[in-house]
Formats: sequence, structure tokens, C-alpha cells
Amino acid sequence: MKLLTVLFKKEVLDAGRDKRSVMAGLYYAIGSPILMCVLFSIMLKQFASPDELKITISNADVAPSLIQYLDAKEIKHSTDEDVKAITLEISENYRQKMSEGRSAQVTIIADKSDDKLRKSIAQLERSLMQYNSEIASLRLLSRGIDPTVMRAVNVQVNDQATPESKGGMFLGIATLSIVLTLFYAAMNLAIDTSAGERERNSLALLLSHPLSSMQIVLAKSGAIATYSMLGLALILVVSKFAYAMVPWEQLGFSVNLGIDFILLCMVIGLPIALMSASLQVFVSFMAKSFKEAQTYVTMVLFVPMGLSMVTTYDIGTEVVQWLPIAAQQHAMIEFIKGNPLPVPQLVISTIVTLLLFALFSWLSSRMLKSEKVVFGL
Amino acid sequence: MISVNNLTKKIGSVNALNGLSFSAQNGKITGLLGPNGAGKTTCLRTVFGLLKADSGNTEIDGIDVAKDPMQAKQQLGLFPDPCGLYERLTPREYVEFFAQLSGMDIDGAKEATTDVLSKLKMEDIADRRCQGFSQGQHMKTALAQAIVHKPTNIILDEPTRGLDVMSTRILRDLLQMLKEQGHCVLFSSHVMQEVAALCDHVVVMAKGKVVAEGSPESLCERTGKQTLEEAFIELIGSDEGIAA
Repeated sequence: MKLLTVLFKKEVLDAGRDKRSVMAGLYYAIGSPILMCVLFSIMLKQFASPDELKITISNADVAPSLIQYLDAKEIKHSTDEDVKAITLEISENYRQKMSEGRSAQVTIIADKSDDKLRKSIAQLERSLMQYNSEIASLRLLSRGIDPTVMRAVNVQVNDQATPESKGGMFLGIATLSIVLTLFYAAMNLAIDTSAGERERNSLALLLSHPLSSMQIVLAKSGAIATYSMLGLALILVVSKFAYAMVPWEQLGFSVNLGIDFILLCMVIGLPIALMSASLQVFVSFMAKSFKEAQTYVTMVLFVPMGLSMVTTYDIGTEVVQWLPIAAQQHAMIEFIKGNPLPVPQLVISTIVTLLLFALFSWLSSRMLKSEKVVFGL
Repeated sequence: MISVNNLTKKIGSVNALNGLSFSAQNGKITGLLGPNGAGKTTCLRTVFGLLKADSGNTEIDGIDVAKDPMQAKQQLGLFPDPCGLYERLTPREYVEFFAQLSGMDIDGAKEATTDVLSKLKMEDIADRRCQGFSQGQHMKTALAQAIVHKPTNIILDEPTRGLDVMSTRILRDLLQMLKEQGHCVLFSSHVMQEVAALCDHVVVMAKGKVVAEGSPESLCERTGKQTLEEAFIELIGSDEGIAA
């Protein structure tokens, strides 16, 4: 235990003096919530007021009522520079077909493979469909038929979303950036203290002292986890203030990160920080060099990122909610939404997280007993 | 006392150690002499338990390194090649850290560190970070680390590389002092003058085996040569790989 403390203190001191690595972690913790805020503000603006859609309408004078209808839906003919590459072509015989009560042809000319246009095309199609059903209803009425015969199924939507739950996707992204801090904030330090230690030849010297390889691994993981937790605390505080500045009212919900949320994150984050540290140390020791370790660690971090993404976009099955990282992030989201915490999932995933920490530590300590790993033979 | 008994070790397809046996006594400086690739570093790493021998064993003060590595390592100080410094720590922090790892308490470690730093005349660089140190300053820091906890046995792997004349003299005096205090000093080298000037006992190694051992004088006598260098070439049977 005494040796562990000595090793831990040295790791913390040594890592702390590696200014560049520490700063890299801090940049992430400070930068990502601010970036998210800018992103959210832009997204919210788009949600709140869809932009005016400018398209080319040919033969407009034959269909004044359609043009007026589209105009009310913010779809306008324009010759400006920012006009979308969508043309609505109204057929020459439109007026005649309409007056005869027959189907009048309008053609949308656009490239549907163009991702940027897809939303605008859908908006135009939707408006045309609405216009279509309005005119059709009027025609039925004029023939003495109740237009509701056209509505075999009467779909009613009863939206039960609370203001908080509406922000689900935003909360997902916000918590994603918080969870990932535990993996990215101390990544450079983790590589430096393991692959770097071996490359600088101090690992062999360390191992030739009377201490066990487990003590070395635990001290390293502990020091890395300390810096991860520092990053977590920082991102939580920055998030608290940054997210308060996003104009959430536009969507009718609010994101409020209180002190209780910060404390909850710190508590459920600690096992993740330990697991993440031991995983990165393990992967770095497996690599032959510092550069190789950087590649491997980056690759391995796709796994927690994937788990976190699944939670963010809510595409996982029930099983995913029990997995480490996903479950913890899910708990964070539920907490902000004001729902009860999913305790069984949280407990099981925390236990699994700690077991993984034990497994990775054991694997690393076993590797340090191998001549091949220590001397790269 | 360090005794190496019939060590064999294969690294890849190379027989790095091939039935190596010798012993280094307390109160004596023992030199491990051999051309590049003779197995000197492999031998020292095996003594430290960093490499496992395929057969044979190593004893430190009668303790088998393979069986009780913790106990055996308590009695060892290592000056490795390469040095393995932590560039972001100062020599004082570095030496103190390893002193504590060798089992000293924090006050004892502080005191011993101050003591060894002044003995090596390192006060001027003691609180500067190791980054940017000259080769000689590197070596001194590593040496301070090796002897700070006053182990009975001190092992040095090529300790004179890169040292200037003054530092070499300091090192020489230091090794003499350790010897007089009754420590067992084992060092590897391929610099003949160094070995001739310092060692009481020379173990000549080639291809993982002991070719000859004895005092420098007795080796010269046995081969009928004037200098240790000529005796060495005569003993290993070729002048291959002697370039330092």
C-alpha cells in the first residue's frame, strides 16, 4: 500500500508536468460543451422557424390560387442567387383541367440524390399534398359528398412529451460529450505513462525494484483516472454554464444541469474513469511503440463511443441498456429528464465496469511479467 | 555477493547465455568483460529477474532471484543501460522516488538523497528537471539512484559511457569507496583501461560463456601478454566486435 502511494504520487506529478498532454485533455473538456452550445443554438433556430424556401415556378400565372397557397407556406418563386435547384412546372392546361374538375399536372424537377435538397423537396411535396386534399374535399362537397369518406382512419396524435423529454436528442448529445471526457481527457497521459515509459527505458528500471507489476499498473491507472475525473469535473462545470445560454425556450423545454446532476455524474463516472484508464494502459502496453499505441487506443475507443452513440440516438435494444457506459449515460439522461433512475441497470453496469477494470489491470500486470513486452524482444 | 550458476537463455534463435557461471564477492569490484553481443546485458538483466533463465539460477546473498524476487531485489542497486530517467522530474525527486521504492521511508529517503547528491557533487543540478541534461549528468543521476539505498550489491551496466574525465574519476573514486565499505560491485564494460584500473576480478565473456576469469594481472600472465587488451583478444580468440 505504501509503495502504491509512492508510485501514484510520482505518476500524478510526472503526468502533471506533461503540460501539453494535460492541456490537450482540458481543451476537450472546455471546448466540447461550448462547441455543443453553438451547434444546439443553430439547430434550435432551424427547428423554430423553417427558412423561406425559394424555388423556380414556371407557368405561375395559370395557377394563382396554388401560388397563393404555397406563398402562405413560405414557398416562393424567386430569381435570387440563393434559389434552390428545384423547379415546379405547372402544365399549360392546368387552368382548364382544374375547371373541368379533373387531375391537373404539376411537375417537380429536382435531383433527389442531392442530400441538401431532400428536405426542401419533401417540404414542397408536403405542401402540394395538403393543397391537393383541400381542393379534393371542396370537389366532394360540391358533389354533395361528405369529404370524411376519404378519411377511413382518423389519426389523432396525443403528444405526451414533457418539455424536458422533448430535448431527448439534445440531452443525448450533451451526455455523450460528458461520458467521452472520461476516455479522451487523459488519453495522451495514459499512452505516455505506459508505451512512453517503455520507450524511455524507465520501465525496466522500475520493474527491477522490489514491487509487483500489479502495483505499477494500479498506480498508473489511478493517476490517469484522477486526471480523467478532473476533466469530468471541468466539463460538467463548463456545461452547466454553457448550456444555460442556449435558447431552449424556442422548443419549449429546458436543460438544467444542477449541482445534484454534477455530483451524480462524478459518482457514476468514477468506475468508468478507472475502467477507461486500465483499458488504455492495457492497449498501450500491447503496442510496440508510442505511435502504435496512439493508433490502437484511438481505435479501441470506438467501442465506448459506439455504446454511447447507441444511447444518444436511442437505437439500442433493451439489452444495450444493461451494458456499461450505455446504462450510465442512460441514467444521466433520465436524471435530467426528471424520471426515476434506472437503478438495476445502473448497479449491474457499474459492477461490470469495475470487473472490466479488474480484468484489464490483471492483463496489464501479466504483460509486465513478459520479457517480450518489457524489452520488446 | 552475487553468484551465477550455469545460466542458459535463448532469445529468439540466439543462445544469449550458454552455461554462464561466475560469482562476484563482497568487498571486491568484479568486471564483466566481453565484446558487443557477448551476453553481458542479458546476464545482468537475468540477475535482476527481468529475464527468466531457461536453466540455471542466480543467487543474491544466497537468495534465489527466481524463487524470491522481492527479497532478492531489496539487496540490489541497478545502474541500467540505457539510464531510464524521468525527464520531467528533477534528480532529487527521481532519486527520492526510487529510494522509497527500495523500501526507505520518506524521511530516510530525503536524507539519503541529499547525502548521495552531495557525494556525487550534483547540488547545482539537483533541482533542475532532467530534460536537456548532458550525457554525464544523466549518468550521475542514474548512479545516484543505484546507490541511494546503500544496497549490498551494486550492478552497473556500462557505467563509463559518455562520461568526461572528471566524471570518470568521480565514478572511479565512488566505486573504490563502495568496495572499501564492503559492497559487492559488479559492472559490465568493454573499455579495457577502465576494467584494468578498477577491477579486482575480471570475468571475460564471449558467446554467452565465461572464457576466463581472474585478476587483470593473472589474465595477462596466463596469456603471456603485456596489456589486458591483448590478453583479452588472445582469450576470446578473435578481434571481432571489440570496437567500443
